[in-house]
Amino acid sequence: MEVSKNSFKTLSEPFKQFSGLVGIIILIFLTFFILNNIFGEGDELVAKMKIEEERIAEERKLNKLISSLPSGVLVSFDGTDNFKLSDELYEAVCKATKLIPQRAIMGANFLNFRAHEIYTINGNKIDETFVKWDDEKNKCIAGFVVSGNNVGVDETVKVSGEALSFLSTGIDTRVYFIKNF
Amino acid sequence: MKKLIFFILFSSLITSLALARSTGCKEGNCDNGYGKWVYTDKTTYEGEWVATKKHGQGTETWPNGYIYKGEFKESQWNGTGILFFPDGSTYEGEWANGFMNGEGTFTWSDGKQKKGIWKNGSFQE
Repeated sequence: MEVSKNSFKTLSEPFKQFSGLVGIIILIFLTFFILNNIFGEGDELVAKMKIEEERIAEERKLNKLISSLPSGVLVSFDGTDNFKLSDELYEAVCKATKLIPQRAIMGANFLNFRAHEIYTINGNKIDETFVKWDDEKNKCIAGFVVSGNNVGVDETVKVSGEALSFLSTGIDTRVYFIKNF
Repeated sequence: MKKLIFFILFSSLITSLALARSTGCKEGNCDNGYGKWVYTDKTTYEGEWVATKKHGQGTETWPNGYIYKGEFKESQWNGTGILFFPDGSTYEGEWANGFMNGEGTFTWSDGKQKKGIWKNGSFQE
């Protein structure tokens, strides 16, 4: 022990400083490695971050697309003066749309009396709305869920159909017509 | 802070005034007679009014493309009328309490038809 202590003393000063620096760097790396193993999520976290980054990039792309659309009614069918969406735009608008206004819900309720009853009884309350792109059918599906007590019976009704028109406000897009017939 | 509160109150007042000016009875007599009413969501009703209710012949146009032309009773679609759906489909026939009730014909935008008796918006097989 005494011998090794003496031999360290005989080493040159720059070498000693370099060894100390390397030691500190190793210690820092080791500390982070241990802490990362204890508290970090490693690859899982990186994967989550990548997914989130992709989601944000996709959202930005869709927002850019929406702001480029004309304000007004966007439709996916022929025979109106409204802006006609191409197949690609229809899919993109569908994926970017989250809102379903009251009139669209009331319109869909024309052909679903039970949903209309629950909707009215519960003060026009909607439990859930959804807009999703159906890859198999190549269609935009929109709908809503109403639930409540109807003449002593707890009921839940889901209404869904193809979203055929949207309203572009310049800031967002909203489902305007759900064809559930 | 006072300026901010004043600004918020002033903006609310201006918005309320602007909304009040753009909605309500825009033409004619919406109490008893013939008039046009515009709702806050841009839905319009033009037709006959009795005791401030839609009663008689009229046309209701929704901003999302639904148009009902026909009879109203106590502000509801009642009697005979035609509903145009935004995609071009139509229902022509009898109505009760705002729903297809009675004899009527549903025509899809492609021309396909369903004719018969309807109850609360459902076709009776």
